Amino acid sequence: MHGWTGKILRINLSTGKITTEALKTDLARNYIGARGLGTKYMYDEVDPTVDPLSPENKLIFASGPLTGTFAPSAGRYDVVTKGPLTGTIAASNSGGAWGPELKYAGYDMLILEGRAAKAVYLWIQDDKVEIRDAAHLWGKDVPETTEALNTETAADAKIACIGPAGENLSYIAAIMNDMQRAAGRTGVGAVMGSKNLKAVVVRGTGSVTVADKTAFLAAVGKASTMIKEHPVGGTGLRLYGTNVLVNILNSIGGLPTANFQDGHFETADKVGGESLAANQLQRPKGCFSCIISCGRATKVSNPKYKGEGEGPEYETAWGFGPDCRIDNLDAVIKANYYCNEYGLDTISMGGTVACAMELFSRGIITLEDTEGLELDFGNTDAMVEAVRLTGLNQGFGKKLALGSYRLASLYGHPELSMTVKKQEMPAYDPRAVQGIGLNYATNNRGGCHVRGYTISPEVLGVPVKVDKDSIDGKAELVALFQNLTAALDSTGSCLFTTFGIGAPEFAELMTALTGFAYSGDSFIEAGERIWNLERLWNLKAGLTAADDTLPPRLLKEPIVTGPSKGAVSRLPEMLPLYYGARGWDANGVPTREKLNALALA
Amino acid sequence: MKVSYFALLRDATRKRSEIWERPAPSVRALLRDLAADYGPNFSRWILKDGELAGYAIILVNGQDVRGLQGLDTPLSPDSDVFIFPPLAGG
Repeated sequence: MHGWTGKILRINLSTGKITTEALKTDLARNYIGARGLGTKYMYDEVDPTVDPLSPENKLIFASGPLTGTFAPSAGRYDVVTKGPLTGTIAASNSGGAWGPELKYAGYDMLILEGRAAKAVYLWIQDDKVEIRDAAHLWGKDVPETTEALNTETAADAKIACIGPAGENLSYIAAIMNDMQRAAGRTGVGAVMGSKNLKAVVVRGTGSVTVADKTAFLAAVGKASTMIKEHPVGGTGLRLYGTNVLVNILNSIGGLPTANFQDGHFETADKVGGESLAANQLQRPKGCFSCIISCGRATKVSNPKYKGEGEGPEYETAWGFGPDCRIDNLDAVIKANYYCNEYGLDTISMGGTVACAMELFSRGIITLEDTEGLELDFGNTDAMVEAVRLTGLNQGFGKKLALGSYRLASLYGHPELSMTVKKQEMPAYDPRAVQGIGLNYATNNRGGCHVRGYTISPEVLGVPVKVDKDSIDGKAELVALFQNLTAALDSTGSCLFTTFGIGAPEFAELMTALTGFAYSGDSFIEAGERIWNLERLWNLKAGLTAADDTLPPRLLKEPIVTGPSKGAVSRLPEMLPLYYGARGWDANGVPTREKLNALALA
Repeated sequence: MKVSYFALLRDATRKRSEIWERPAPSVRALLRDLAADYGPNFSRWILKDGELAGYAIILVNGQDVRGLQGLDTPLSPDSDVFIFPPLAGG
């Protein structure tokens, strides 16, 4: 095989059995890799009703065929499992250099089964695979773990690990790799913690082979040029990072504020990408083979929040900023550093603190509940402390570690959790941007923006501008973006490549790399197949059309101030159209005809 | 009217915002004067052959002019104008 290594590493942590097996060619072609291929293996091997934190759940680390090649910005991998936060199929992808290293060690995927009897880590050096004791690492944070493992294995080994949050089975725990990169969403860190697995350390000396080197070189050159020359992909992300979005979203009235009570925050500029670039930014940073470099290496010199690390991304700056009515960027960055160090998803953490602040402001929880934490909106010190306590599973942090849905439910007010399928929504208000609300509601892993990023056409105007306030054509638009993203996630590429290239260019890359003929249409069809398979998994797990919804606030309570004042989400009108566009029945179940067409029957 | 600048346009204008008091009946007229004042470092992101450059974002009172009358969108002294160069994120 070309592109794929053709080999899967399977480790049963209960028995210590380590095996390898050949990747099935037809599955690789139809499900591509990473998210798609990992989901196919989960679908075939794991009961969707499984307890996510039980030994029967599996944890898959999966690279894509483009991962580890010099295709632009294609160094990603996915963690695929059943997510404890959502109960859905979970695939959280991450950049850095860990994914390529797995390929160089000779594996497309690592499938982990069972549960180790005691804390362990994996040390993978090409064909040599060891399960090692990790007692001395348990309790250490991500930087401490990473440094210790680089010392005792190899200085250039790549490390994916959990911090204390994953060890303590927080529902919002991430898996961190290369110190600062996160497979953040759906609580995948807790699954790793439930298996008593502290880290996966990889060192590879192999390579990725290419079917048609001349054609691949040409396809890479073309794609790279298109990204570099695109006014959106080629300049702004490197200079300002993703956080440049704070001001545009605020200016259209779509920046969720105070736990989505409003869509506009007067002083948002203080936590935006321009402020970050002028103050805390040290340099842009890119993942493996990246030509965009949206990452932010930052430093805070303010003694109160002093630190050095990476971030914030837009979602993070919003979550700890406007969503908590906070405009202190130093504090926001400190909260981000805590998440990186303890291994927490910044979106869910920010959304959970914001929810706690609303519970506190309404008197639903008191100082007694919070153990003295004054969680008023705008209280920067309390926000930062809440994140620290969550990471360490101490005090009120034990309840925050459940995520906002379970937190709010504890106090009888689940409606104040701004979640879809129990996962916190990101930084775009569905009342101000209609399509993104439909994407949140129908997303296969709950509240998530990246799997159907209609903000691109609805706000940024890329590739073309569509009316953000209209529902016309949104069902088809959302389905198309979801399908395209499922396919490109599965290649190991970064979503931001789409600010320059599209399905035809991915098809060229994949054809030259693998030797299988992909067209733009067949590439998107592979994405549609993956999306439908994820849907089938979720239906078998017990989710229904009733879960395809938004918090009632977004359907009933209009935005209060700013340019989108008065707007509500029109999801109920869009949802039936979406089911129709997908070829699903009125209950959101894929029809036999659709499954036959996608070879899923 | 108030005109606010973002991202690279803050470098070009060395301002976050300003109160614009010269006559500007339309977005086109405003941009013509801004381009003259701030030069190519401003106009290269916003205008191409006298028309709105692809992916530049101009909001008038929070509304994208691409959904209004484009460069012919009328302005008034109490308009609030936001000008963004092409940008992305996620």
